Order: sequence, then C-alpha cells, then structure tokens
Amino acid sequence: MKNVLTIFKKEWDRVIKDKRLLFSVMILPGLMIFIIYSFMGTAMTSLSAPDPGNIAIVNPTEGFTSIYALPDNENIDNIITIAASEIPTYMTLVDQGEWDLIIVFPANIESNLVDGYQATADIYYNGNESQSQTIYQVYRGYLDIYGKALSYQLYEDTTVLLYNVGTQPIDEKKLMGTIMATLLPMLVVMFLFSGAMAIGPESIAGEKERGTMATLLVTPVKRSQIAMGKVASLGVLSLLSAISSFIGIITSFPKLFGEDIDFLSIYGIGEYAMILGLLFSTVFVIVGVISVVSAYAKNLKEAGTLITPIYLLTIIIGISSIFGEGANASWWFYLIPIYNTVQSLIAVLTFDPNITMYMMITVMANLVFTALLIVLLNRMFNSEKIMFSK
Amino acid sequence: MEAQVIIKDITKTYILSKKQQKIERVKDKRKVAVNGLSFTAYKGEIYGLLGPNGAGKTTALRCISTLIKPDSGDIIVNGHSVITDPEGVRQSIGFLTSDLQLEAFFTPNYLFDYFARLRGVTEDIIKERKKQLFEKFGIDRFAEVKVGELSTGMRQKVQIAISLLHDPAVIVFDEPTNGLDVLTAKVVTDYLTELKNEGKTIIISTHIFSVVEKICDRVGIIINGKLLLTETIDEAGGTEANLENQFFELVASESEEA
Repeated sequence: MKNVLTIFKKEWDRVIKDKRLLFSVMILPGLMIFIIYSFMGTAMTSLSAPDPGNIAIVNPTEGFTSIYALPDNENIDNIITIAASEIPTYMTLVDQGEWDLIIVFPANIESNLVDGYQATADIYYNGNESQSQTIYQVYRGYLDIYGKALSYQLYEDTTVLLYNVGTQPIDEKKLMGTIMATLLPMLVVMFLFSGAMAIGPESIAGEKERGTMATLLVTPVKRSQIAMGKVASLGVLSLLSAISSFIGIITSFPKLFGEDIDFLSIYGIGEYAMILGLLFSTVFVIVGVISVVSAYAKNLKEAGTLITPIYLLTIIIGISSIFGEGANASWWFYLIPIYNTVQSLIAVLTFDPNITMYMMITVMANLVFTALLIVLLNRMFNSEKIMFSK
Repeated sequence: MEAQVIIKDITKTYILSKKQQKIERVKDKRKVAVNGLSFTAYKGEIYGLLGPNGAGKTTALRCISTLIKPDSGDIIVNGHSVITDPEGVRQSIGFLTSDLQLEAFFTPNYLFDYFARLRGVTEDIIKERKKQLFEKFGIDRFAEVKVGELSTGMRQKVQIAISLLHDPAVIVFDEPTNGLDVLTAKVVTDYLTELKNEGKTIIISTHIFSVVEKICDRVGIIINGKLLLTETIDEAGGTEANLENQFFELVASESEEA
C-alpha cells in the first residue's frame, strides 16, 4: 500500500508541479468550454431576437395601430406612414433588401364599414430576404386579427367553434431535467475521457518509450502496485480535469439558456452526490482502458492512434442520451461500462424512481471492470514482450 | 570464496520482426542472443564481461536484473532465483544500463527520495545515503536541477547514485563509463573498487580493455552469446595489450568457425 501511495504521489506531482501541464489539464478545458459555450449562447440569442423591421403603411388606421402597438407585443419596429405616391420608391427599397414591408390600406376603411363591404389591403415584401419574410409573417398575423375585429364590429361574434384545452400543469423541474439529461451525460463522458487522454498515455506509453518505466521495473515494487498507483493517480487527476470542464459548462449556462433559468437549483445534494459517485466509478474504467492501451502501444504516438477510435466510440455511446425516452429500463444494460454511466446520469437528472438500483449496478460493474483492467495491466507490466518491444 | 551470482546455463532467444530481420540482414526469425551462458561471480570481486557489440552482454545483464527472463537455465543472485523470486533479486542488486532512464521533469533530489522509498529505505537512511552518494559524485551542486537540464555525464552520475541508494550486495553495471569524461570515469571506477573492497559483488560489461585491466579481478569474454573464456586478469596476461591480443584471437577463431 505504501508503494502504491509513493507512485500515486509521484504521478500527482508530475502534473501538479508542472505549471504548463497543470494549465493544459486543469484550467484550459474549463476555460475553453466556458468561452465556446458562452459564445454559442450569445450567437443563439442574437439569432432568436430579430432586428427591428422597417414597415411603411399607406392610410394607417387607428384599429390596426392599436393591435400592433399593444404592450404585450413589445413592438420595436420602425413604422412610418407614407403617401400613395411614395409606394414605387419603397417597393424599390424592398426589392433591394433595404426595406422590409409595405402595407397599403384603402382610404377610410373604418368609416366605410357597411354590410357587404370588402376591402383589399395590398402587401409587398421580399421573399428572398429572411428579415422581410419574418416581418411579413408577424404583420400578416396582426392583419388577420384586424380583419376579425372589423368583422366583429359589423356582425358581432360569428365564431361557431370554441376550444377548451385541458392539460397537466407543466412540471418545470421535470422539463428542465429532461433538457439536462439530453445534454450533460455525453459531455460528462467526453470530459472524463479527454481528461484521462491528456495524461494517461504520457504516464505509461511515454514512460515506456523513454525508458523511465524500466527504471521503475528494476525496483522490488510489485507490478500490481505500479498498476494500482498509476491508475489511482490518473483517475483522480482525470476527475479533477473533468470537474474543471464541468465548472466551465455550468458557468456558461446563463449565457446558453438565459439568465433567468436556474438549472442547478433543481437538483439537491443527493443528486449531486450520485453524479459525483458515478463520475468517480467511471473515471477508473476509462483510465484503466487508456492505461492498458498505452501499455500495449510501442510509443506515445501509437498510443494516441490506438486511443482515438475508443474515444470516438465513447462519444457515440454518449450521444445515445439524445435519443430514447429517459433512462433505459432493462437492468442488464447497466452492466455495460460507459453506457451504464450515460444511462444512470439520465436517470439521476430526470429523477427516475429506479435510480438507486441503476446506480448500484453501474458502480459495481465499473468496480469489477476496473479490477479486471488492473489485473490485465499487471500482466502486461510483467510481460517483457510488451514492456520492452521496440 | 562465496559465490554471490551464479549464472547457470542460460539461453535467451529473440523473435525478430520483419523490420529487424531487414536491419540485421538475416533470414532466420530467431536470434539467439545468449547461448548456454554460465559463470559465477564471487563476493568481493569485480567480474568483467568483455565482448563486441551485439555479443549478448547486455542481454545477459538484463537477465540478471530480472528485466527479462531467460528461456532456459537460472540465475541465483544473493540466494534468490530470477525465475522463482525476481523481487528478492531486485532487492539485492543495483542495476545500471542505458535502457534505464530518469524522468526529465524531476530533480535528482526528488528521484533519489522516490526510488529510495520504493525500495523501502527508511527516511533517516535515505538522508544519510543521499548525502554520502551526492557528495561522492558531486551531485549536490545540481541536486535541485531538473534531470532534463543536466548534461549526459551529470545524468549518468545521478543514475549511478540512484542505482546504489539501497546499498545493494550485488552491483550490475552495463558499460558504466560510457558517455563519461575521463575524470568522472575515474570517480566511477574508483568507487567500484571501493565497493569491491567493502565486500560487494560487481559485474560490469564493457568493450574497453583498459577498464577491465584496471579494475576487474576476472574477465569473461563473450562472443555470439557464448562465453569463450573466463580467467583472472593475471592469467590473461595482466596487461591491456595481452588482453587485447587474446580477445582478437578469440574473435578471429570464432568468426572462422561461423
């Protein structure tokens, strides 16, 4: 045990005492994610909020103005009144994409209202310009309401079909949980893997390539202790790296979803403890896999090449959270590493009632896999063919 | 005389990859690196393995150090077998070869403590041994400089100090003066003699005749994985020139046979 701790400490110092490595493993991932997601959030907000439209109206009416100027509409558009003679000029502007919409009402539409009266409002917009098209849709809606209002003045209420919609009140917690469950599991698995990938190959394939592993192998330390010390330290370091990424994504949430949605407070200490427990058990499986592949690889470069397809595979498993309704209900799926983490995370985030069972199976399965991987790594460290292949 | 290291008829064969076959220009996939090698090293002597490049010296030493296992035969080091008790062997020896490197990121001071702890040396003995060895090889001047920033000679000194930190009964050094300037090489050879006088068993491999002639008590000449001769330096003629002549004669007769 003492030797495991000594090796753990050396691996830990290797990262913690190296400022460059510390920055690239612990700070950079979180920082990059924060910057990327904040930028994405800002870009998405600016996309969903259209620019103010330019609308020219001929013969504006009081009734129509009262519809689009309702306080609920928060109208920020630039609406001007023009004379009929100016129509051709504004049509040209619309064609050039410099103006969005022209509405031409017949003169005195409201005072001419008598039974059988039908008025035509001319509308002109540019179908090739997305802004013009959006503004047209919005004002087309206002015009429909205006038409109904005019009809109501003339004939009173002519509606023959009314609706009465019944629905459950929206459970905001569940809704937000579902959003989190589509997004987070994949990211978490990716963060764990990329954290482990940044230090694992270097610590085993790198040491093997440079001959520093051989120096360790001529000491009387048992190979199994070397394997345990390495996997334990790499696991903790990868977890810290993943937590850095996690902080990055959490802090970028307000930018991504808006300031007023608080995703974090919907979960209690219990959920957070379960998430951490899942991460802790998963990181050792990931580090175990990376260590075994790194020990097998002849050098650092080969380790990178061999690990990349495994990384892609975990991302594909992570993406499974986007499809399907909630957590997988078959217990034996929770025996499959990585997939079990993704599904258990979904279960935690969506408040699944079976979460305790899923958690237990997942953590147990991960522990067994970690133990098997350490046994395998121990055997590889004992194999001169693997350790001294050139 | 007490036998400390007994090498009993060891054989080691490598399977060559296609690439290695091309490099070595051989058709046979199997390369016999060590072929029925036997010799004994006694307490309080320096045994020199002399041979050209590729003769099997390093393979033999790696077998003694348990880095690799012989295909057949056995080696007993300080009463431990490399086959059945490799950890006991590792505890008893200090091994130095160019294959063993130190992590460039750490300082000699850090690495000394690290390997000492892994060898189960207690903290106060670590302190004492470090002082003694760092002074001996002049490492105290650069004890806090990262290994990566040290010159080859300095690094070699640190490696020697680390290989000896647990005061091993058996010392196995592969080309110990390689890459060292004459002054440092002398420090190393003098220290090996000192260790011998303390009763340690030392096995070195080298292709430098003067090293053998100066510090070794007995020499074994190894060519093509076979030990062709074991004798004391006096039997070999006592001088570098005699040793050299004998060596070249053996090489010539061996290549005629081949």
